[in-house]
Amino acid sequence: MTAEPVDVLIVGAGASAAAFAWSLAETRMNIVCLEQGDWMDPSKYPGLGGDWEARQLLGDFGFSPNTRGRSEDYPVNDSASPIAASMFNAVGGSTILYAAHFPRFHPSDFRVRTLDGVADDWPLDYASLEPYYDVNARMMGVAGLAGDPAYPPKVVPLPAVALGKVGRTLASGFNRLGWHWWPSDSAITTQDYEGRAACINAGTCLSGCAHGAKASTDITYWPAALRRGVTLRPRCRVREITVNESGMADGVVYYDADGVERTQKAHVVVLACNGIGTPRLLLNSRSRQFPDGLANRSGLVGRNLMLHPYAMVTGIFDERLEGYKGPTGCCIWSHEFYETDRARDFVRGYSLEIVRGYGPAGAALWGLSTGRISPGAGHHEAYGALFDRAAGMVAICEDLPDADNRVTLDPQMTDSNGIPAPKITYRLSDNSARMLAHAVARATEVLQAAGARDTVAEAPLQPAGWHLMGTARMGTDPARSVVNEWGRSHDVRNLFIIDGSIFVTSAGVNPTNTIQALALYIADAIKKNLANLFD
Amino acid sequence: MSENHERSSFSDHQARILAEVLDAIIPPSADGLLPGAGRIDLAGAIEDALRQTPEVLAMIVQGLSSLDELARRRGSQDFTALHETDRREVMEELASSQDAFPPVLILQTFAAYYRSQRVLEELGLEARAPHPSGYAVEPNNFALLDAVRRRPPFYRQC
Repeated sequence: MTAEPVDVLIVGAGASAAAFAWSLAETRMNIVCLEQGDWMDPSKYPGLGGDWEARQLLGDFGFSPNTRGRSEDYPVNDSASPIAASMFNAVGGSTILYAAHFPRFHPSDFRVRTLDGVADDWPLDYASLEPYYDVNARMMGVAGLAGDPAYPPKVVPLPAVALGKVGRTLASGFNRLGWHWWPSDSAITTQDYEGRAACINAGTCLSGCAHGAKASTDITYWPAALRRGVTLRPRCRVREITVNESGMADGVVYYDADGVERTQKAHVVVLACNGIGTPRLLLNSRSRQFPDGLANRSGLVGRNLMLHPYAMVTGIFDERLEGYKGPTGCCIWSHEFYETDRARDFVRGYSLEIVRGYGPAGAALWGLSTGRISPGAGHHEAYGALFDRAAGMVAICEDLPDADNRVTLDPQMTDSNGIPAPKITYRLSDNSARMLAHAVARATEVLQAAGARDTVAEAPLQPAGWHLMGTARMGTDPARSVVNEWGRSHDVRNLFIIDGSIFVTSAGVNPTNTIQALALYIADAIKKNLANLFD
Repeated sequence: MSENHERSSFSDHQARILAEVLDAIIPPSADGLLPGAGRIDLAGAIEDALRQTPEVLAMIVQGLSSLDELARRRGSQDFTALHETDRREVMEELASSQDAFPPVLILQTFAAYYRSQRVLEELGLEARAPHPSGYAVEPNNFALLDAVRRRPPFYRQC
């Protein structure tokens, strides 16, 4: 676009980039963001049409970039993984399709080695991120209820989402067992808030919120960042980061919407492309100085991929639950099994996140996939026993880092611009397998206590590679990490990474809130270190 | 909601085969209240759903031709002329050949059937999109939380 270097060039416009750009913009630096996707038009979201479930489950708003058929996406070879990769490319990134379930990490999640003797401690702690969690809660508009005994006290600006009949029913099951539950922190406005309307319980969160109640960053941070002077250029797909003779990043090569190759020079380059897109870009940025990929002298770029193995356990109830009403993935959570218990046969733990039921088509397709509903004779009876009578939960299991779980470049597959696509190689660890088994058993127990007459378990949940972490981990030792404790590359001192790639461990909760808090933390670190940013 | 579509991919003959196949996938309910999937014109809805993936639509068209071919091998004029039992056998024969057509058509049939206005109304649902009206949900009552509130903090301090 221009040969003139900008001060800060951000690649990617999803959860982390939006928060980072908004925060850093107060410096009045010239900040440009390149995003391969486009702005979304909420008037075209599936929830406004009768075919919304088909578009979400089988069509252009599906989880997998491999099946959506959108030119903005890039393919991911996930054939060597039991869990499929999922992400969305647009302004707002995967927050367009996420559930907006918005927990924080626990304090113990940053001290895994010290407390449990596994993986590594983070180079920062909960207290360091706490003020940024608070800022993020205000900017995204988080709904919840103060007082959760599973957490230190925290800011929750909006009242909890409607629990509905599903929440009430399952909460009674937790109570019967004496287990913890609490209304989920949800990035969903339950009252009119900062120009966003209150949630209308449409239940279409996973295919975009046409109402604007769900906090995707295209409607939260980005408008505020643009008002602060940030420039956002959609439909610009970055091919590689370029370096100068000194081995410093000096810009990127990208393709514009017409497929024309462009360059953009920059004094600072910031990657915000998620745990698959960021290592892909680094590995695609080979040069004389960096023959194994940029910022990869440790050999760790792409390694330690963590995906959060999910178990999904669904109960079938006799009464109708109105589960298609209300935020799909936000209701109540349980952290009863979150912290390590040495009496169990695994370390670390998991959270349980109650998910509501399916709409009419979703129920049929889920019933088909689980063998509960078949074509032909008996179809209507089976459907009648299932529709609006199914509700349950997912278990989000902490995935420990394993260097053999990794992102590499696929030797054949490319995106529509001919850029090599990523391949993920992932094996479920024995610890994760035992944790999944425990989670399935406990979830089944609580569903039965809530009155379910039958349960269905799926573990690991195949399409659930929503959380992409660990592939450019942070740390103080350049031999054992890719970026330092404030996101700066050890090898390239004007290159920063701010997405889930830099996670040291994965915790047992959805990561978006922590990704954004970390991005805000790094933005503040840059502001504080402006005078000697590259020292 | 989805029953008036302009067809283009299916010939009249293929549309008749499709209706028979759809009826086999979702037959009418025993009480007659819910229609068979072949009786509510789902062809247009399926076409609409597959507009972004023409290769899948072409596969379905090809699959319908394959049913005709298998029927002719049994001495029938075409698939629609077969007795119901024979139709089922022909469809099972095609399914057992690992042709992708049957599972794809079943998925699309389920998705299209359960957004049909007639079906939704018969199920007691409002035949409308979730937006912009949304749904009313019972207000929160946190009395159920009393036991949990009494519990001391149990996160690990560190």
